[in-house]
Amino acid sequence: MSGPQALRCRIGSLELDSPLLTGSGTFGHDGLVTRFLQPGDLGALVIKTVTPAPRGGNPPPRLVETPAGLLNSIGLENRGVDAFIAETVPLLRELSKPPRAIPVVANAGGESVDEYVHMVRSLDRTEAFAAIEVNLSCPNVQGGALPFATSAEAVARVIEACRSCTERPLWAKLSPNVARLGPIAQAAERAGADALTVANTLLGLVVDWRRRRPVLGAGFGGLSGPAIRPVAMRMVWEARQAVDLPIVASGGAATAEDVMEFVTAGASAVQIGTAGFQRPDLISRIAADLRALLKQEGTDLESQCGSLQWPSPAASGKV
Amino acid sequence: MAVLPADARCMDTELLGLQACGPDAWLLDLALPELLPSLAPGRFAMLSPGDGSGPLIPRPFSVYDQPQADRLRFLIQVIGPGTRALSRLSPGSPVVCTAPLGNGFRLVAPDRPVVLLAGGVGSAPFLLYGRQRREQGAGSTALLFGARSADRLYDHASFSDLGMDLLLATEDGSQGFHGNVLQALEQGLDSGRFDPEARFAACGPEGLLHAFSAFARRRGLDAEISLETYMGCGVGVCNGCPVATAEDGCFGAWPYTKTCLEGPVYSVLDLVF
Repeated sequence: MSGPQALRCRIGSLELDSPLLTGSGTFGHDGLVTRFLQPGDLGALVIKTVTPAPRGGNPPPRLVETPAGLLNSIGLENRGVDAFIAETVPLLRELSKPPRAIPVVANAGGESVDEYVHMVRSLDRTEAFAAIEVNLSCPNVQGGALPFATSAEAVARVIEACRSCTERPLWAKLSPNVARLGPIAQAAERAGADALTVANTLLGLVVDWRRRRPVLGAGFGGLSGPAIRPVAMRMVWEARQAVDLPIVASGGAATAEDVMEFVTAGASAVQIGTAGFQRPDLISRIAADLRALLKQEGTDLESQCGSLQWPSPAASGKV
Repeated sequence: MAVLPADARCMDTELLGLQACGPDAWLLDLALPELLPSLAPGRFAMLSPGDGSGPLIPRPFSVYDQPQADRLRFLIQVIGPGTRALSRLSPGSPVVCTAPLGNGFRLVAPDRPVVLLAGGVGSAPFLLYGRQRREQGAGSTALLFGARSADRLYDHASFSDLGMDLLLATEDGSQGFHGNVLQALEQGLDSGRFDPEARFAACGPEGLLHAFSAFARRRGLDAEISLETYMGCGVGVCNGCPVATAEDGCFGAWPYTKTCLEGPVYSVLDLVF
């Protein structure tokens, strides 16, 4: 398929114009930066995490660049769900209606099952969102405690509780900071998630050795950008093997070639995050390249999705 | 709360040239694909090489000058991989430029004197400031321009060419006042050379801005600072450029402000700085 429909894709019951989504936390809350994008290029706007209470965020510095990557520790700065619904949701409602008609995916954060439930209930009631992504994996906010997404049992508890409060598509955003993703992905699937976002930033540290201190104000940070793409790719493939749910890839995609890699490894859609800081219109440039690439290779997203053929053990060269 | 400026755009520009203006600094000229309205001083652009030769994240630069509606000039001191990559481009190279961003300096009545303080490459927002003052037919506009040494008083003749009252200072005494610009300011206020009722503004290294902010608050000056905070996106979406706010300032109880949207220019009363 070519032409304007060439990028149409589906994440479960959700039909989108494009497989290119924003990565949560890299496109803000209000969607105003979508102004830089052409119609039809952005499949959905995934907004920055919102939490029940306001969070001022972590002390600066919050960013440090690394080779082909960015280490961040923002700390989920947001004004809390009540202010978000009063001030920002009206803007997002406008965005999701014609002429822009960009579906918006909310992102819910919390520190307990009750908080997640409160978030999903509140967001669901606004009727402004095409789906709700549950952020189980922010590495920067637990004050040393592990994110929910590092335990299959904790993931199951949160998703099961959230599932009972919404009929909207519910996406579980998982963490790459685990030894094995498979059991966690399966726990999310069994608990009722409609899709998995794989994954989030990798926990990291940059040291200012002269001052003998971490560079970031909060110490650790989450690594994003092209540097982590092979890790995210491996996890998308692992998740693909473990579950039947649609997978939304998130981790270092910066070009149309990267998007095709993720799709081939099993992703139905791909979030563009840190790379978008290069230029706010990057998603439109990737969309144009992607259309050209699909046409040139004579393939389409659906037949490419998950078509990766794993080499057989006999081909590994071992004797 | 500030939002993305309505006039911001992302442009594929072309490097017209790089002109050395010190041991480690360049004037970088860009040809834009479209016409920009006249820009307020203090606004900035995110720049990165369009050929992928730079690091992942673009860098913020004050607009130094706007020679024509489709030209922008930047003053760039080479301090790391981002600025180094820009300084190594050849004429004709593509440069990604997202601009104009940020708030810029508050307008000043033409008949009110203005005293500007620049430390090194912190002079960058003040050429446009001087130009705007001249176009308004404004009165006295003083610039105290300090640097480590005389060869780092980048392009200082351009400021006097605009008719600004230029006072140079060097830490090593190689040109002008021997000391830093804050000491020069203090002397000028005490001697009556500068009117304490003037509008003051400073840009430069963090240490200078901290000292200037404390001084301005102590003396009750109406003063602004333009920050050179590290940024991720420049357009208000990454929350990576926070600066702590003063509880009794215009940002109220919220602990941080985004430099890229609500700055980079702030009143010294609104920040804990």
